[in-house]
Order: sequence, then C-alpha cells, then structure tokens
Amino acid sequence: MTATLGRVVATERRPNTPHEFHFWTALDSPVGIGTIVRVDGSEPVNGVRPTVFGVVTEGFSWTDLASPLHDVLGFDGNPGSESQRRTARTEIRLYTAAVLRHIPEEPLQPVPMGTVTLAAEDDVALALRMDGYLREGAHTGIPVGVYRAGGTDSTIWLDADFLLGPEAAHLNISGVSGLATKTSAVEWILQSIFAHFPAQKGSVAAICFNVKGPDLCFLDMPGVIDAADQHLYEQCGVPAAPFEHVQYFAPYRSDGVSLNTLRSNEALLDNVTPLTWGLREVLQYAEVLLNKDDVDAKADALIDFIKENVLDKRFTDSMLERTHSVSSFADLDAWFRDVLRALERKDDQTWRTHHVATIRKVRNRLSNISLRCKGLVADDGATSDLPWGSFEDRTVYVIDVAGLEEDAQDLIFARVVTKLREQLEKHDLGVQHMVVFVDELNKYAPGDGPDTYVRKMLLDISERGRYLGLVLFSAQQFRSQVHRRVVGNAGTALYGRMDGDELATPGYAVLSPAIRTKLATLEKGQLMVRHPHFTQPIFVRFPRPAIMRGRDGVSAYPPAQVQSFSAGVLRSLRVLDPALTLQWIEETTQLATEDEILRARNAVVRERPENVRRAFASHFRAAIAPRAADRSLTPAPLHVPPADDPYGF
Amino acid sequence: MRRLVAASLPLGRPVDDGDAPLELVSMRNDAPRLLSATVLEGHALRTHPVPEGAGEAIAAFLDGTQRSTVVQFSGVVPIIVGVVAAVIRGRRGERLLTWRRAVVERRIYASRAQLGAAAWERLTRGAGELLCDVPFASDAEPHPFALRDAAVHAVQRHRELAEQALAHAWFDAEGGLLFVDGGISGTERMATSRRAVGVVKSHGTLYAQGAALECILGLPQGERSSVFRITSPKRTPVASWYLRLRDAAGHDPLWGLVRVECCERDVGDLSARADALSAAVLQETSPLALPDARWDRMVYGIRDCEELLRAVS
Repeated sequence: MTATLGRVVATERRPNTPHEFHFWTALDSPVGIGTIVRVDGSEPVNGVRPTVFGVVTEGFSWTDLASPLHDVLGFDGNPGSESQRRTARTEIRLYTAAVLRHIPEEPLQPVPMGTVTLAAEDDVALALRMDGYLREGAHTGIPVGVYRAGGTDSTIWLDADFLLGPEAAHLNISGVSGLATKTSAVEWILQSIFAHFPAQKGSVAAICFNVKGPDLCFLDMPGVIDAADQHLYEQCGVPAAPFEHVQYFAPYRSDGVSLNTLRSNEALLDNVTPLTWGLREVLQYAEVLLNKDDVDAKADALIDFIKENVLDKRFTDSMLERTHSVSSFADLDAWFRDVLRALERKDDQTWRTHHVATIRKVRNRLSNISLRCKGLVADDGATSDLPWGSFEDRTVYVIDVAGLEEDAQDLIFARVVTKLREQLEKHDLGVQHMVVFVDELNKYAPGDGPDTYVRKMLLDISERGRYLGLVLFSAQQFRSQVHRRVVGNAGTALYGRMDGDELATPGYAVLSPAIRTKLATLEKGQLMVRHPHFTQPIFVRFPRPAIMRGRDGVSAYPPAQVQSFSAGVLRSLRVLDPALTLQWIEETTQLATEDEILRARNAVVRERPENVRRAFASHFRAAIAPRAADRSLTPAPLHVPPADDPYGF
Repeated sequence: MRRLVAASLPLGRPVDDGDAPLELVSMRNDAPRLLSATVLEGHALRTHPVPEGAGEAIAAFLDGTQRSTVVQFSGVVPIIVGVVAAVIRGRRGERLLTWRRAVVERRIYASRAQLGAAAWERLTRGAGELLCDVPFASDAEPHPFALRDAAVHAVQRHRELAEQALAHAWFDAEGGLLFVDGGISGTERMATSRRAVGVVKSHGTLYAQGAALECILGLPQGERSSVFRITSPKRTPVASWYLRLRDAAGHDPLWGLVRVECCERDVGDLSARADALSAAVLQETSPLALPDARWDRMVYGIRDCEELLRAVS
C-alpha cells in the first residue's frame, strides 16, 4: 500500500454517500482530477474492513479568509508586497471523488471515514473491475492506454467482449479537430486489438474509410516516436511498428487513369487497388443516390423491373429492335433508347405498364449516376472491388473516399457496409470480426436532418452489428450533434480535447465541472475513457502511433502528377510489370479510343495476368507496322512528243 | 462531562442555554485602570520609530484558550465545566505546524464548601481527578454569579498553567523566539527568558498617565513607546513598551495598539532589544488575522493557534 495522502471527511452540509466522498490532502500531495484513490475504512462491517476505490472528480481549495477584500487589505492593495510575509495562510485542499467500487460490494453503505492512499497498480485493476477479464486463461483485455498518477503507472485494459462484441460493442471518439487525437487514437486501438485480440475469439480485420486528407494513407509506413511513447508501447505490449498488412482501395478520378487518392506515389502503389463498380453494384443501391423526389413508387417499380428482368440477362421484346444484354451503363442507355424509340414508333404512352415519362425520368436519373460518380462507376460494367469472402486476419483495408463527391461517398459506404453485413450473416467474409471506422459522424449520422440511407445503415450497425461481429468505430467533433442511437450504442467512448461549447451541452452534464475543464484542456495523447466495466470515466495516456503522419507521408511520397492519358495508364500497369514503357503503351494503343484503353487497363488490373504486355495488347486491333513505300526513287522520264507531230501527241 | 455531572447529581437542575461561555460575561467586569510605570529607556515616555528589517525571526507562537459553561445548579451552587487548551505552532518554511501536541484539558469546577459533603462525594466518585474545588468560604452566602466568577478564574489559572508548561517544554527542546499571546510574567522562567516575547492585546490596564498616556495613544504606525518596567507583587518584573501595529486614523486610539513584554535582565542594550522585538512583531502583521474581530492587534500566528484550538477543544 502506498503512503497515506489524505483523510476522508464529511460534514452535514457535505456528506458522503455510497457514490461520492470527500477527502483532504496535504498541499503537496500528487492528487489531481482523474486520480484513482483507495479508502480503507477503520470500522469493520460484517467482520470485514471496507475498502472503497474512487476517482477524483472535483477539487477545492480555500483559506481562512472570509472575504477576498481581507487579503487586499493585508497587502495594502499591493500584490507585490508578498515578500514581507513570513507566514502563509492556512489553506485546505479538499477533493471530491466518485466511487468506482466497494469491496465488499454489499451492504452498499456511504463511504466510511478512513485514510486515503493513491491506488497502486493492483488497486487500479480492482477499482475498474478489470480483474474480471484479466484472469489467467480468460484474458480478454485490450490495452487502451496507461493511467498515471503519483508513482502509479498502470495499463488500462478494455474487455474485448465489450469492445468487439458480443456483450457490447462499438467505440466512439469525440474531440476537436486538428489535434490528431481521433485518428491517432483509432490507429492505436487497432494496433492494440491486432496485438491482443485473443486467438480463441477468432479473426479480426478493419475497414477504414479515409474521408479527409492523408490521415490514413500511410498506415504501413513507419513513423518517428519518442522514448516516452516507446515506453508506453512496451508497457502495453503492443509492437511499436506500423501495420503489417494494409490494403488500399481508391476509385479513379474523372479522367479514369489516375487514382483519386493522396497515396498515388508510384513507390506505394503495390498495395493500392482501384475501386470500380459496374451497373450491377450501383443499381442495387440506387436508393442511396436517388432521393425520394426522384424515386416515387412508379420509378421504383421500373428500377425493380430493370434489376430483375434486364440486368445481366438477355432481354427480348417484340417491340424492341434487338435483343439486349445489359451489363453496363452504356448497355442500359442503349436499352432505354430502344424502348423509347419503340414507344414513339407505336405512338404509345406506356410500355409494360410503365409510363413513358417514368421511363424518361429513370433513364435520366440513372444516366446521371455514371456522371456523378465518374471514376467509381465503370461504364463497361467491369468491377474491381474489395476482397469479399477473403478478408484476412489482422489486416487493415483503407477505402480512400476523401476526394469523392458526396454521392459517391454515400454509395461506397452503403454498399460496403451492407455487403459486410450480408457476408457476416453468411459467415462468408473471411474474418469473424470486422471493425468499420467512419470519421466525421457529424456528417454521416447527424442527429437532425433528413433520414439518409447512410444514417440508416450506421444505425443498423450500431444496433445489430455486435451480434454479427460488425463493429463500428466512429469519430466526430461534436458528439451532441450525432444521432443519439449511434453514439448511445457505442459501448466504449473515448474523449480527446473537447470544445467548450460542446461541453456545455446537456450530454456532458453528468461530468463534474473539473472533469469538463480537464477535457477542454487535455494534452495530445490523453483520452478520457468510458467503458462498461468502468463506473466512472478514466483518463489515460496513449502513445503516438508508430505510423507515418499523413502530412509527413505526403511530403515523403508526393502524389503522382499525371502528365498524359497514356502516362496514367502506364502507371496503373507498371505496378504489375515495371518493365513497361510509355512508348510501348502509346504504340499499342494508338488506334484505340480512350474508353477501349481504359477497358483494357481495367481488365488487366483486375485479372493481374502473368504476361501483362500480352494481356493488355490483346484488347486492341493489331496495328500494321509502318514501312517504307515500295517505289522507285527515280522519277519516270517525261514524255517527249515527236518533233513532227502536228497535233502535239 | 454534562452527562457525568447529571449522573452524579440527579437532583440538580440542568442548564441548557446554548453553552454560552462564561468568559463572555464574567470577565468583562474588570474595571479599566491607569497605572504608572518606571521608564527604563530615558527619563520620560516618548515615541521611538522602529528600524525596518531589524527584526528577529519568530520561531513559534503560543496561545491558549478556555471555555467555561454552567451545566447544572445543585441548589444555588453552579456546577461548571471548563475546558482549557494550549498549543505552540512552530514555523516550517511559511507554514505553521503544531509543535508536539495541543494540550486539551477538561475539568468540573464546583465549590466544595458550598456544595456540601454529600454532593461533593457523589461528584468525586463520578469525576475523580477531573473535579476541582473552587475555594469559597462555607459560612458565606455567595451570589451565584460570584461562585461562577471564581470558577472562571480557576479555569483561567489552569489555562495559564497549561500554557506555561508548554512554553517551558518548548524552551527545553527548541531554539528561537517564542511569540506568546499575552503577558510573560506569569512564571519566573518565561519572564526571564530571552526567547519569549509576550504581546498583550487587551488594554484594561494602561501603564501610563498624563502626558505619557497621550504619547502612547498618539503613537504613529510602526513606532513604539519607551521601555518601562511592569511589576506586580505576585509576578516577575518584565520590560514592556507599547507598539502601534496599524494606522489608527479613523479608529479609536487603542486600535492597532499592543503592549510588548520581554525579560528585563541580561538583554544588554534594552533599546536595541525593544527595536528588534518590535520589528519582529511588526513583521507578523501580514497576513491579516481577519476575519477575527481583533485583527488590528492580533498576528496571524496567534489566529492560527486559536483556529486549531477551536477545532480540537
């Protein structure tokens, strides 16, 4: 047990309760807001001396002055005259602590008078009920950081069953922007999960949506950490190294040749996969891109008809000019044109109960999708997608949507998450637990505003995901503005430095003024943790991730600047065959259109053939090599008319 | 104590008037008086500015408190419970800490002669050594208030003894200057110690008359009077002088005025000693002893002692 640093006090006006107590300390005691303390009662209850653990939530200090004016008088109004003073006023340090745990738990009584000591490492485990899941043989702890106070340096563990399910799940992080708290914390927690998730609980992977900047673009590159962070890593038993297995996915830009990501430097492209979807994938989630004004019941019926009868099928109709096989937006547009022409020919207003206006409207909206999501949606129907069914254990899959339009982002969220859920239901994902990290929850799951598909999807994960192993790690600046059911279902909540206005909202009223003030002034690398096993919030330190920071990565690996269409194609293909040259690309594609070249490029990137040259060239008509004209260099002699020819022949 | 008395004298009439201390009523009856004193510094009492920065650091503060309450009347004889306490608060850095332990003593005071043998016997059985006799002639028929005042004086005597015992122990164990709240002439040892300085805040007795009195009452802030000798038949003579701690402008002439006592013998230059001790006392005027009503004459170290004694007694 550590040295006594305080004594419990209670007065009629400030009594102790079973949930809160007060104690005083010497002026130089190492107690602060967030310190965990231990109270040893002096009177046995049922033969057992009670022990109570608490966390300091408020601190007070005062002197024997009745009025500040008295101090002014004492210094004759001159604060600088203190040097004349030989005696300091009597001063008290009084703290209020919230009870973490009583031992024994019953009978639950007000905190007894007794001595107060700093909680030692074992005490911290008891106080936070971590002893229940750190047992030998049933260890399900995931380190979240280190609690430090006085001389105590204790690792704080989250319970994997309550972080990744099935008991509770989900993690939510709040904090102001610009302090690298949210992203760093998620990176650290993922590293910790990958290092400590118990093998008997199955496999775990993570999908991270990079929604802004280069934050998540260099997860596999080492970063610089100092000795203090190195110590934190060692204490938590997490390797101070970048993620070993990371896969990146990013759609193309609208030019179709350069990837829409800040991780486009040629040196880093070996684990970057283009994300392109075809008509089939998009049409399944048409409601994400089409709002209620667009899709009324009649339009919805036509879209269903297309999905069930037209898409990826041979479609014949006596009215149509030909048989259609629709697998791309281009095919679909041709089908629409044929249908509309048939109606015009017949001078009719309906086709198979669908009114011509509805057909035109749906054609217009669906055609727009390929324009609005250009780069993500491939006109040719080809798909380059996440490794559905073969996700690997302890791997991070980053989907970079930072440079996309909102519609395209929504489409990606909706499809990826829905498909994750479907595959987890079928136990066909490749891993048993999938963490989905979504930043900017204020934008994607706001508490007010329209009920979007993305918000519904996030609510669905929050409320039902833990049963499937689908775990939402979410982050936002303003927790109060996120849908209550999304944050409310997060079993674990982390708080970095918070905005003062945010802390003034009713959701933080349960925290003491001192805790709120501490939250408003938290340093980098400090978090407040709420977890189902912890009855009160706990402050921890976590190390800076041993990962290259986004802005450092962009400096070290500047994004590629595409000079020409052919250069862009070359960059995509050189990942598969570094021997390819720009000249070869230009010669091979000189007779092809850009659409044909992109189709060939997509096919090669998707199939990853052994012989990239042959596979790519096979998509184009053979060009005849230029050769010199076969004719005499000597000009034919001029015809000389006979001199006696009177007619000039 | 109240329960003990009630159990010992079940036929008595308990008094429960809110524990009003007798000290507040009985000791106010002392009539103010003026006494002349022998001037030791020069020929007549005059003012002396106290040189700045010449003060000897005060190492500790001694104070005592007392509290007497009537808990029962046995017939017309009051039974009084008295609590005396004393403490020395030593300086450690800028903080004051209790030297050893605070002394707290509780006793029952009654007049054996007035109470009668049977009642006294019953009280003795219950209270044992805690019972103190307040001497009063058995044949007289005293006013109950006279008995009460006699008891208060007995309590006061016990307080002085507690203070003196503590001071003697401190002299034996520690070095440095001891600031005593009140006079130091109660015991020979204190009155003759170079390490004791007494500061008297009350002025029921003023040691000046005529022009000397005018001089004292007109002392400016930071100045002292000439040193004079205080003698008493039962007490050891000491050197004393008046010192103005704070500017009395706008207040009565006694506001901010204290009387300082120190030993008269073996101090060498008495003027220099008075200057040094005056400077030491003046240095203790910060921080203010507010919110105590006597803050103009009380130093913070004594207030600190009183606060502690209030908490423990």
